[in-house]
Amino acid sequence: MKRILIIDDAATVRLYHREILETGSFVVEEAMNGVEALEKALQSSFDLYLVDINMPKLDGYGFLRELRSRDLPQAPAIMISTEAQAFDEQRAYAAGANLYLIKPVKPDQLLAQVRVLLGELTP
Amino acid sequence: MNPLLEQFLSEARDFLQGISTKLMELEDAPDDAALMGELFRLVHTLKGNSGLFDFPEMTRVLHAGEDLMDAVRNGRVEYSQILADRLLNAMDFVGMLCDEIESEGAMGSTHGTDAARLGESLRELMQSADKAPDESSAPAAGTAADVETPDVQTSARLPLANIAEAARMEAYRRASAGDPLHWLAYAPDEQCFYQGDDPFFLVRQTPELLWGGIEARESWPPLADLDAYACVLDFGLLTAASRPELEEQYRYVIDQVTLTPVAPLALIVPQGDTNGGPVYDDFISDAQELLHAGDLAGLSRSVATMLELSNPELWVASALRWLQLVVESEAATAAATPAIVDALLESLHSMEVPNWEGVDATLLAGESSESAPAPASAPVATLSAALSAEECQALEAIVTAQRAVLSQPEDSGLLPGRIQSAVAALSGCLRACGDQTAVPSLEAVMAEALAANSGAALLAWLDERFPAGALEFTASDAQSPTQSAAESSLDHQSASAQASATSASAASTAAPPAAEGEVKFGRRAEDAIAGPKSLKVDQTKIDRLMGLIGEMVVAKNGLPYLASRAEEKFGVRELSRDIKGHYAVINRIAEEMQDAIMQVRMMPVSFVFQRFPRLVRDISRKLGKDVHLVMEGEDTEADKNIIESLGDPLVHIVRNSLDHGLESPEARADAGKPATGTLSLRAMQESDRVVIEIKDDGQGIDPEVIKRKAYAKGLIDEATLERISNQDAVNLIFAAGLSTAETVSDLSGRGVGMDVVRSAVENVNGSIALTSVLGQGTQLRMSLPLSMAVTNVMIVVSNDQPFGVPMDSVVETVRVPRSSIRTIKRSLATVLRGHVVPLKSLNTLLGIEAPHQPNADDELAVLVVRLGDETLGLLVDDFRETVDIILKPMTGVLASLSAYSGSALMGDGSVLMVLNVKEIL
Amino acid sequence: MPIEFQSDQAVLLDIVTVEEAETLLEWLQENPAAKVNLADCTHLHPANLQVLMAAKSGIDAWPKEAGLRAWLESALSD
Repeated sequence: MKRILIIDDAATVRLYHREILETGSFVVEEAMNGVEALEKALQSSFDLYLVDINMPKLDGYGFLRELRSRDLPQAPAIMISTEAQAFDEQRAYAAGANLYLIKPVKPDQLLAQVRVLLGELTP
Repeated sequence: MNPLLEQFLSEARDFLQGISTKLMELEDAPDDAALMGELFRLVHTLKGNSGLFDFPEMTRVLHAGEDLMDAVRNGRVEYSQILADRLLNAMDFVGMLCDEIESEGAMGSTHGTDAARLGESLRELMQSADKAPDESSAPAAGTAADVETPDVQTSARLPLANIAEAARMEAYRRASAGDPLHWLAYAPDEQCFYQGDDPFFLVRQTPELLWGGIEARESWPPLADLDAYACVLDFGLLTAASRPELEEQYRYVIDQVTLTPVAPLALIVPQGDTNGGPVYDDFISDAQELLHAGDLAGLSRSVATMLELSNPELWVASALRWLQLVVESEAATAAATPAIVDALLESLHSMEVPNWEGVDATLLAGESSESAPAPASAPVATLSAALSAEECQALEAIVTAQRAVLSQPEDSGLLPGRIQSAVAALSGCLRACGDQTAVPSLEAVMAEALAANSGAALLAWLDERFPAGALEFTASDAQSPTQSAAESSLDHQSASAQASATSASAASTAAPPAAEGEVKFGRRAEDAIAGPKSLKVDQTKIDRLMGLIGEMVVAKNGLPYLASRAEEKFGVRELSRDIKGHYAVINRIAEEMQDAIMQVRMMPVSFVFQRFPRLVRDISRKLGKDVHLVMEGEDTEADKNIIESLGDPLVHIVRNSLDHGLESPEARADAGKPATGTLSLRAMQESDRVVIEIKDDGQGIDPEVIKRKAYAKGLIDEATLERISNQDAVNLIFAAGLSTAETVSDLSGRGVGMDVVRSAVENVNGSIALTSVLGQGTQLRMSLPLSMAVTNVMIVVSNDQPFGVPMDSVVETVRVPRSSIRTIKRSLATVLRGHVVPLKSLNTLLGIEAPHQPNADDELAVLVVRLGDETLGLLVDDFRETVDIILKPMTGVLASLSAYSGSALMGDGSVLMVLNVKEIL
Repeated sequence: MPIEFQSDQAVLLDIVTVEEAETLLEWLQENPAAKVNLADCTHLHPANLQVLMAAKSGIDAWPKEAGLRAWLESALSD
């Protein structure tokens, strides 16, 4: 099973994403901020990261920059933001995101994005 | 209440508390940027959370708050007392909504106006600041560019004739008063009921609803074939709300909604019996004369007289009523009125639907100046026929995003990481399209790109593999559909904020004066402080307590030693007795403390169980099976770590049951079973273990099939194949590399077998057992410790070093004369009660050269341990006592030493290394 | 119970949730001639509405609440 790390400081959002992803047969782990996420990414490998932007300690950009600058397996990352500005989107790509979605992401949409990113074939 | 909502409310309270605390702190330090940033983050996150639910009023207020805080944070607006007051007021409102949601289960429908005013009161602070620099440019932006004029022809194609005349007349009046009219068609997704949506509730909450109707998408099947849970209803409605308001209301389903502005004239459709009526040409010519003379009052009287003479059921009566209405509201149609009346009179004469071609539509009021609708997203046609529409959009968005990723400036150390992640994403896309064969070529290009330290090669590959023309992008520039949609809706919002601001100043009679606009929700401050029922504590604090009590337990264990020393070495017997007495007291307190801390960490099993009703329903429907899920003992509690570790194994087991265990309704009927299968999840506490039982009444596991599979895969040899019992065969399902299903389905399988489940359970010192009766069902029983905090270990000594061995793997301790140890095929072994027990030397296993030390009787110490189903002797130098320890996992560089499962701090301050028996053997 | 099933009438009360739809469907299959009383219904999940529409059930009483009644009349009157 593919492993996905959800990184968000809001427990509600983590639960929301977890529930969506679990209907799609994915194994989900959570981190509350960039620092915790980085620790987890260093300990074990994930197939995908779902990254919030605004978080205490280390924000989403910071986490991605740390991740991308290390010699680790570079799994795709989806940045999930509330900012629908082209500027933010470019900033996310520069930091190392591979997709930029606007909150709240609809369940079907998120599942489709994740399936395609992870190369899961539709039954 | 559903757990997500519960989580939201509990977190929302924390955020609200945090927001008011931060605001208070800001009063003392209004220039503290960090504090301001933190405050923004709290409001921002709370708004994001509320957006997950259908609480538009709450989201609206929070959104205004967020925008305001953003302005403050960026120095565009200055922090002030008024600002703090209004923000607190708004948060009180949000708190009140939370209370209401908690007690009523839903939010009342009466808060729209309050929310709007509160939002307004916050935005006002921002606008007054924004106005100064932007005043000249701002108003121009929204008006000229994208004007959306309701067009009579388009409107006439809408099913407006289905609407009752009274509702259409009301709509016409609203339009005459300047309200925009919209026809909204909402075709909910067939699966939407499973997402907890209630489209009917949503449409009933439409702002400014004038009329609504529901239709079936297709003709109804016989009842026996009806799937009540596939939504096949279409909703259509007429509303006087603006586009932004409607987009807000329908924001989660905006792709399923079509919004068409309605021209008021299109509403004028006379209806009724076309036979008969006192229409005289005299009336028409009189009316035309009055009209041309400009005597609308006379015309109105004349129409009223005619109406009195007509049976209201008649078509002409209906036409006359419309005529009357048009004349009454002539102020709205102004210069176009004569043309409209003319057309209506003509229609009365011809008894046909009025023809509006002669009417200059641009003269009509009721048209709204709004921006063009968000472009509908067109699915990609080529490349990806196998993908669903959602996935096509996803593919398109992902490919586009990778272009953007690879086009980023190449001046940082992130480039290799970016390239690799983009390649990972693209190879996912290839696989999703069923084009695995292209992956190697992509990887070759990646190597090239990495060597050149440039994304150019990959961009070229992208252009070739996914040419921009093949993927039809919805927006003209390369933006993802999600983003462009979100962006344009955002534009609408700001446009509406602009519009409402201007309309408020223009029509000051309609809007309440600004001073009255302040709404007070201060009741929370005055009310008695309602203490929270539970306390939320950071887990690290609990962990610290755990660590401390662990040390305390170990430290108290030093006291008996002290007592014996007092007696034996110093000969003070009385002191020794006192120490022992004190020890008993401390021991009891320590044990109770330990227990109390454990209790804090306890969580009910329902935490993992709660996801299964939904999961089972979704999956069984996908598989076309009927499954009844029974859950029991959800209140059973265990340590947080144990409960959390249960989640993934349980999901896997349940999937297996649904996928391989339970049969299709037809197969069940053939087997003489009820068509609906039963899957039960039971949790219970048995002494100091929590037991989870997962049971289905499916087809069970065929031991013969397993045996053959295991043999075919080389997991057992021929001899084993012959003599293995059925139960043992069934247990082979836990062996790595054995997958029972003939084909790996998309739901379970995926190369993960029960072996992973077993090791996950064993990682928390649990065990798992499976029993299955062919044709009748399968039962899995997991037994887990209630708590993983305290481990009972036996201390053994080897080469003068103490080591801990977890007691659950220890079978017995024996001393074996050196002479009874044999060497068989270069391995050591001995015979215990008639059984050969292989022996291993701990020193050798740990790479210590020294031989083991025998005791005075020339016996060696052997610790017999259990390893799966086998027993094995571990040669050590000596045994010591057993102790309770708090096992700390190895961290840092030590984490890679798999020979140890962790370490523990002892009473004398030394560190005990605990062996991972499975790993070293 | 938001639905009271009487011998020849289903009485829908208050808010009829999505969970009721299956029961309602089964009951209407067994009692095809039964009528429906919506007088005290304040909302019903569309899954239930679909069932009523497909069953072409006769309506004994429309909801007292005018807004709901208007919606339902568009769907249930023929």
